[in-house]
Amino acid sequence: MEITFAVLLWAVRIAFLLLLYLFLLRAFGVLHRALVAERAADAPTRAIGVLVVERSPGHAPRVGERFSLRASTSIGRDAGNDVPLSDEAASARHAVLELREDEWWVEDLGSTNGTLVNGTRIERAERVRFGDELAIGRIAMRLEKGAG
Amino acid sequence: MIALTRRRPELGLLFWVAALGITGSVAVAAAEAAGFRPQQLVIPVTFVIVAFVLHVFLAVRGIRGDQLLLPIAAALTALGLVLVQRLATNLLLQQLSWTLIAAGAFAATILIPRDITALSRFKWTWALLGVLLLMSPLLPVIGREVNGARIWVGLGTVTFEPWEAVKILLVIFFAAYLEEFREVLSQTQRRFGPIPVPPLPYFGPIIAMWAIAMVVMVFEKDLGATLLFLGIFLAMLYLATGEAFYTLIGIAMLIVGGFAAYQVFGHVAARVDVWLHPFAEEVRFGTGYQLVQGLFALANGGLFGAGLGNGMPERIPVVWSDFVFDAFAEEVGFAGALALLALYLLFVYRGMLIALRAPTPFLQLLAAGLSFIVALQTLVIVGGNARLIPLTGITLPFVAYGGSSLVTNWMLVALLIRVSDVTARVRGTP
Repeated sequence: MEITFAVLLWAVRIAFLLLLYLFLLRAFGVLHRALVAERAADAPTRAIGVLVVERSPGHAPRVGERFSLRASTSIGRDAGNDVPLSDEAASARHAVLELREDEWWVEDLGSTNGTLVNGTRIERAERVRFGDELAIGRIAMRLEKGAG
Repeated sequence: MIALTRRRPELGLLFWVAALGITGSVAVAAAEAAGFRPQQLVIPVTFVIVAFVLHVFLAVRGIRGDQLLLPIAAALTALGLVLVQRLATNLLLQQLSWTLIAAGAFAATILIPRDITALSRFKWTWALLGVLLLMSPLLPVIGREVNGARIWVGLGTVTFEPWEAVKILLVIFFAAYLEEFREVLSQTQRRFGPIPVPPLPYFGPIIAMWAIAMVVMVFEKDLGATLLFLGIFLAMLYLATGEAFYTLIGIAMLIVGGFAAYQVFGHVAARVDVWLHPFAEEVRFGTGYQLVQGLFALANGGLFGAGLGNGMPERIPVVWSDFVFDAFAEEVGFAGALALLALYLLFVYRGMLIALRAPTPFLQLLAAGLSFIVALQTLVIVGGNARLIPLTGITLPFVAYGGSSLVTNWMLVALLIRVSDVTARVRGTP
């Protein structure tokens, strides 16, 4: 009986030390996961995008030209736009591409000939995903992940 | 229900804290009485319930951000309760009531103030309050002198160390002050050789800080507070300005001040002599007895220790407040002591991460300063217990017996959680 009690006591003591280390291990695990999640949320490439010109009969902009995007990027025929397009079918201030809570949305600013996302003319603000094609007049551009 | 599930990792860690605290308490109780009675579980179980309540409170309040600090602080407090039970059973109920008060202070700090960035607006109020509290032990009626250091304030039987509250007030003041003036302090045109010379009005408070620290050392005979006081200030000054030179000047002033104090004041000289020659014939059984016994306890611990409740910590005088680290190391060995230090490391690392990510300079400096308090206190007391540096009357955060220390440390945790909550809201992360 005496021996059993002593053995039990030692088991509890060893369990205490083990628990101390297990807690430490779990705490490190929680910290590690929090840091990984934070890094994923921070990844600057997640929302940053570029418009890559895919089709441009007038050669301004050139095919393959890349426009890095701002949180609110204006597109149109005026030279003052962030993405200037020299195409007669484009309106002076044609459309705006906006970052809303980490998603890109395009909105037509009442242009004459409209804005197309993947070939469909948009009515109101439309979500644009990476890889989608944006067409204005005869010019087509693709939204891609990454900077400049 | 969404609110409750968001803090799942924290809840998971608290189950381990519960297991740890109860196991430790059972081991101590069983070893002491050579038998075990279920009613001995009341105290650890009460604490575990308090920890879970705090978790639910945070979840219901919708506090976001850090989920690590509460479990680590709870684990350290649980270890503290186990050690008080082991080292000073008669103080256990008192320590538990202080734990409840600390939990209340934690909750209050989470609830008020509504906006913690607004704390910076009242910086001179904090400074004044801090200085008054710091001086209060010198007052005739309420000031108390215990073991040669006049750092206590007492009313009736309730006593507390104002210094403990002062350190948080100081960090808030420094953070607000440095946020306002760090440009002036770090972009000085005038240089004297490699030494940047800031305009005197901005340098004034720095000199004032040094002077106050010296006054505390002289009149309250508290080495530890002086060291912490200057350490916090120099660390925050360096963080805010990036000027290593200020820190070097501060350390030089500390060395000069310390050397002068060694020459002039008996109690400082005594501490240093004990540290240098603890085994000297006239010191060993006199002023150095506590440290020598602590060193024997450390040595006795070995790799895995004597087992909880199986050491001889009662041979160290005042072990429950000054030498808990040595007592812990004796019973759970190098392995346990290492885990304890790793918990502090994790706490401080987490605090510094919160500081790095905070959205405004004030919040960054606040979080860094608060984390630094815990780091420096741990370093100074563990270093003192292990005879790496002269022993000072600093408490081991969360673990050592002591009410004022426990309450302010839990308020410190609440402030850190508040900073990480603000950060999470600004960034839109959970």
